[in-house]
Amino acid sequence: MKDSLTALCKLSGHPDSRCWFVAWNPSGTLLASCGGDRAVRVWGREGDSWVCKSVLQDGHQRTVRKVTWSPCGNYLASASFDATACIWRKKDDDFECVTVLEGHENEVKCVAWAPSGSLLATCSRDKSVWVWEVDEEDEYECVSVVNAHTQDVKHVTWHPTQELLASASYDNTVRLYQEEDDDWVCKATLEGHTSTVWSLAFDASGQRLASCSDDRTVKIWRECLPGNEPGTDTVGSDLSWKCICTLSGFHSRTIYDVAWCRLTGALATACGDDGVRVFREDPTSDPMQPTFFLSVHMPKAHSQDVNCIAWNTKEAGLLASCSDDGEIIIWHYQSEA
Amino acid sequence: MASHFSGVLQLTDLDDFITPSQECVKPVKVEKKQGKSVAKIQIEDDGSYFQVKQDGKLQKLEKAKITLNDCLACSGCITSAESVLITQQSQDELYRVLRQNKENNSKQVVVVSVSPQSRASLAARFNLSSTDAGRRLTAFFKNLGVHHVFDTGFSRTFSLLESQREFVERFRRSEQDKKSLPMLASACPGWICYAEKTHGDFVLPYISTTRSPQQVMGSLVKTYFAEQQGLTPQQIYHVAVMPCYDKKLEASRPDFYITQSDTREVDCVITSGVSELERTQSACTGGSPDAAWSCLCDRRFSSVCGNELMRHEGSGSGGYLHHIYTYAAKQLFGIDAKDISYKTLKNKDFQEVTLEKDGAVLLRFAATYGFRNIQNLVQKLKRGKSPYHFVEVMACPSGCLNGGGQIRPLPDQSNKDLLQKVEELYRAERPLEPEDDEHVTGLYDTWLRSVGEDRARELLHTRYHAVEKADSGLTIKW
Repeated sequence: MKDSLTALCKLSGHPDSRCWFVAWNPSGTLLASCGGDRAVRVWGREGDSWVCKSVLQDGHQRTVRKVTWSPCGNYLASASFDATACIWRKKDDDFECVTVLEGHENEVKCVAWAPSGSLLATCSRDKSVWVWEVDEEDEYECVSVVNAHTQDVKHVTWHPTQELLASASYDNTVRLYQEEDDDWVCKATLEGHTSTVWSLAFDASGQRLASCSDDRTVKIWRECLPGNEPGTDTVGSDLSWKCICTLSGFHSRTIYDVAWCRLTGALATACGDDGVRVFREDPTSDPMQPTFFLSVHMPKAHSQDVNCIAWNTKEAGLLASCSDDGEIIIWHYQSEA
Repeated sequence: MASHFSGVLQLTDLDDFITPSQECVKPVKVEKKQGKSVAKIQIEDDGSYFQVKQDGKLQKLEKAKITLNDCLACSGCITSAESVLITQQSQDELYRVLRQNKENNSKQVVVVSVSPQSRASLAARFNLSSTDAGRRLTAFFKNLGVHHVFDTGFSRTFSLLESQREFVERFRRSEQDKKSLPMLASACPGWICYAEKTHGDFVLPYISTTRSPQQVMGSLVKTYFAEQQGLTPQQIYHVAVMPCYDKKLEASRPDFYITQSDTREVDCVITSGVSELERTQSACTGGSPDAAWSCLCDRRFSSVCGNELMRHEGSGSGGYLHHIYTYAAKQLFGIDAKDISYKTLKNKDFQEVTLEKDGAVLLRFAATYGFRNIQNLVQKLKRGKSPYHFVEVMACPSGCLNGGGQIRPLPDQSNKDLLQKVEELYRAERPLEPEDDEHVTGLYDTWLRSVGEDRARELLHTRYHAVEKADSGLTIKW
């Protein structure tokens, strides 16, 4: 049997607009989407189809670029070009906006919750990355503003278990941050991409980080423990990460998103050539120099740029993608392995 | 070139870059000349532009100039004003004036006002006491041809006294005027610039109208001192030595420009870390006899007692919280609050002080330094959740002793260690209560009384201006 990718369902997610991002909730039962129509939608399964359960409107004045679930699944955070991020609390089947995070100078590009749920990160075209802390009363306070990048920051994501934050930027670098003396500081800069880094994904263990770029490659970075391995690519002595694999030649346009399945280890990409691809690691390859092969390629998966790709958190093989054409597609991925 | 401005300003785009959707929107005024609308323009090898007239003659075209003030007045700012600053406000400008003084007969009286934080920074660099660093710096400047060297600790006494009175006045009308409290400190130009650009009309009413020590010194030097010396304000060239690059922006504010004399109250700001000042090392530690390099600054405008320079109690950022707190406790509640205990909140740059009586909080003050804490303060204010009566706001983490213009650590020195040393040296000077400075009291009684209440207010207070967000076609929205 060959590896396969089958479309289960097509949703007109954000009609007459772009759909920028989709995110599964921690229990894998709900999918949140956001788009150029300034709305966030939450989708749930009913029988064989997926239906819109709620529409979160009036929170933002401009495009909603990213949406993400809190680790407890009771909150949604949305990042908008209106320079704010909104926090929405689930109330029965609906969501209410509980806080608007203001402070960024201009477009907020991404928002991400730390695994503990008590920290939140945002990033913006203003080149800064902010870390926020939330207390029991849903009050958010800014704990740090880090100006490490020299350009627009496109993406932020947290390590799956530790308080380690990663960001990707138009300045072609990935940066890693940790807390030090009650402030957050850039501990490592991952250099190697030759153009904008659009997105990042940690693997299940958090030992590896995948980055995708306008340079049409995906890079896999690995944490090097101190004193162990020579020839690291990182700058800065505190953390050492090394590029151990570059996937090049597979994509014909910008790669906008990369998702690492925490259940199966499969790596999926969303590409500006309208295609969706899934890669798998050759289990016999050296973990320090792994080989990834293209498992499936779905050309023209969407009619326009694919902006985002997301593995379901609980159901292996369930994959969601969304596009500039406003559509969301739910896929089933199957591999022979 | 790396930007030296405080983090707050870098976030408001007062920085050295032009991002694609942010272009200068400053309309340049063009002097129209009569003639045909079609013109031929020729660019010479040196980059100058010439208009070719119909008779073939060339006429040099004027360059459109954008000044620092244009940049400050523009919310969608452009390139850093830094290049402008470097020409208008650098040690080169000071040397040019001094050179002109030597070469020509037309002399400008050169006055340098040194901040206590700069003194402490130089002291740490050269292993001196703050007062000794001040003495040697004075000798250094005098040797260059500077006529008078003053201490902005002296003008800070005015700032503190004015802030204290302003606070008590605001507190008393807080029942009727919801915007009177919290009073937010006004000495930090990075914070002021950020507030004007980002939070405009909402935050500005809370900001104390009291001038910063630099700009009180500006008043003193260009009005009182000028009159005393029989000089016009223009005949004085006034330089401030500051721990902070943002102070250059403050000096260039139109509010501190004396229109009728066509001069600024502070003509030029140079920072503690300016290489030329660091070169005083040779002067400080070289073989020169001590006496020649030990010259206390002019007593006219300096906080001195005997042969020692004085400081103010409280933070290294001027001690605003300390002084307003003790004054207000006494004036409003009759309490002698000499022991102030600072409670650290989220981080070391967010501290709180409360005055309690019988379990009730009478006064709640905070010191809020650095951009992240300013953010939280402003957001709390917007939500009506700020519990404070007064906040000492400073743009730099750790405040002015850690200002962007201070001398950088040596290669084998951590910034933390250096900052600790600077703080120790700053605190080693003896404290002076603002009320106890007889010289200042004397000036209130003579100079400030003589000019009348309104003029005295102008000389010691200032105004803020919200910067409207420019909606330009070039600011792409999608």
